[in-house]
Amino acid sequence: MTSVALQILQSAIVVIFAPLYAGVLARAEAIVQSKRGPSVLQPYWDLAKLLRKGSAISENASWIFRIAPFVAFSCYLTVSTIVPIITDQPLPLAFLADLIGGAFVLSLAGFVTALAALDTASPLGGLGASRTTWIGSLAEPALILVFFTVAAVSRSDNPYFENHTVAGSISAYFLPTHLLGVVAFFMLVLVENGRIPIDNPTGSIEISMIEESRVLEYSGREYAIIKWDGWMKLFLLSSIFMNVFVIPWGLGHADSIAGGVEGALALLGKLVVCGLAIVVIDCSFAKLRLFRIAEFIGASFLFALIGIVTGYVIGR
Amino acid sequence: MSTVNQGLLLDLLSVAILLLTFACLGSKLFDRYVAYYALQSIVLSVAIALVALRLDAWDLWALALLTFLIKGIGIPIATRRYLIVRLELKRDVAISTGISTSLIIGAVLTAFAYFATNPSSLPGGLVASSSVPLSNAVILLGALCMVVRRNTVAQLIGWLILENGVFLGAITLVATFPFIVEAGIFLDLVAGVLIMLTLVSGLAHRLATTNASELQELRE
Repeated sequence: MTSVALQILQSAIVVIFAPLYAGVLARAEAIVQSKRGPSVLQPYWDLAKLLRKGSAISENASWIFRIAPFVAFSCYLTVSTIVPIITDQPLPLAFLADLIGGAFVLSLAGFVTALAALDTASPLGGLGASRTTWIGSLAEPALILVFFTVAAVSRSDNPYFENHTVAGSISAYFLPTHLLGVVAFFMLVLVENGRIPIDNPTGSIEISMIEESRVLEYSGREYAIIKWDGWMKLFLLSSIFMNVFVIPWGLGHADSIAGGVEGALALLGKLVVCGLAIVVIDCSFAKLRLFRIAEFIGASFLFALIGIVTGYVIGR
Repeated sequence: MSTVNQGLLLDLLSVAILLLTFACLGSKLFDRYVAYYALQSIVLSVAIALVALRLDAWDLWALALLTFLIKGIGIPIATRRYLIVRLELKRDVAISTGISTSLIIGAVLTAFAYFATNPSSLPGGLVASSSVPLSNAVILLGALCMVVRRNTVAQLIGWLILENGVFLGAITLVATFPFIVEAGIFLDLVAGVLIMLTLVSGLAHRLATTNASELQELRE
């Protein structure tokens, strides 16, 4: 019973706090740039406003366009049940997938969003779908290699095993394989969420947009869901990054609700650290030219590859 | 500090040296080449100091100090002042393959180095056996740097990186080398850099370029 309650709590935390995380990031970024910035609760006001509005859908759009936001939303909800977010023991639904399975579910979300962008045949949607698919095709091998570094450290591709291995011994934490995996995964978090230096999340020039141009056609309720999807993705990947790779300590035990709440509070603290790193990078780098993106992802691929080979040589 | 932690630290430093080599291979600016080389040499001197601490040998301490002073400070400053600033070198355009291609070749070479010198086939009792394949990878990558770059200054940096790789391997494999041999290698290195400085300056003076591919053409 407790585990079911924790399972629900974990997904609820992802759904509820994802907009807050995005709001805090936007506010912190504005402060670093000497601006005042919107309230940290602004994403919630946006959601409240958009959810009350009706949406205008092109008459050429098919059912794919209508269901895509919801499919993506359920994908992120699925991922939220299988990764360590607040507890360090697997919750009842964690058997669904390991890290690679989680990556499949995440790419399904990206796939339906790209399909929806193509569906209305708007030129910018097609442009965005083409670019995100290109970037995704480069990022996916690197992501798989990062999972292999996880496997080289913990002999498993289960995030809970990795968490325990790294939290359990300081020498496993400082293995070159693990540290290289951390760097490679952080670069991929930036890529997957379209942050600087890949894409400007606050950019409003359609021709240079990557992620955002896929959702230009949406309005009203569907647009709210799509935005929520993006925030959940950022929240999920950041928490995987912190809980599995960087700070594997401080997760709650799965035998009581109090443990889960404790883990949730610790998670919010860890996300402050991760958010700070993202904000610093957002404010100190320029966006890369489109064809330099391949080099950025290539570097991440290389880090993971060297990590794996080093793991093979050093052993454990 | 326990032996295990020292070995781990040495592994980490070796990986940092390898990554700095890759950074050099993936960069296009002359300033960056020199900066990465200087950083790599400083990391190398820390690694040598670590081995010195482990073996408690005074000549290794001297070697660490020499590495820091000559490779970490002296050579980078000389290269920057006498080649990069004087010849106004900024962006390296004389690269025979694309950056991505050379990085992929570099990754393949790294894997090859790992397979060629598997630590399990090395004799036991080394300070950190995983540094040996890493140093081999650095040697191969330095050679690759010299092959894909056509600019003589970039080739000089490639040669210096190769030499760093040799040193990294030497301190782990044969840490009890006589000091006179190591000092001799250092003298060679300094002489080599001086010759390269003169050669490149002469090349730039005569041909108005530092691109080595110009040398293939016959001139009157």
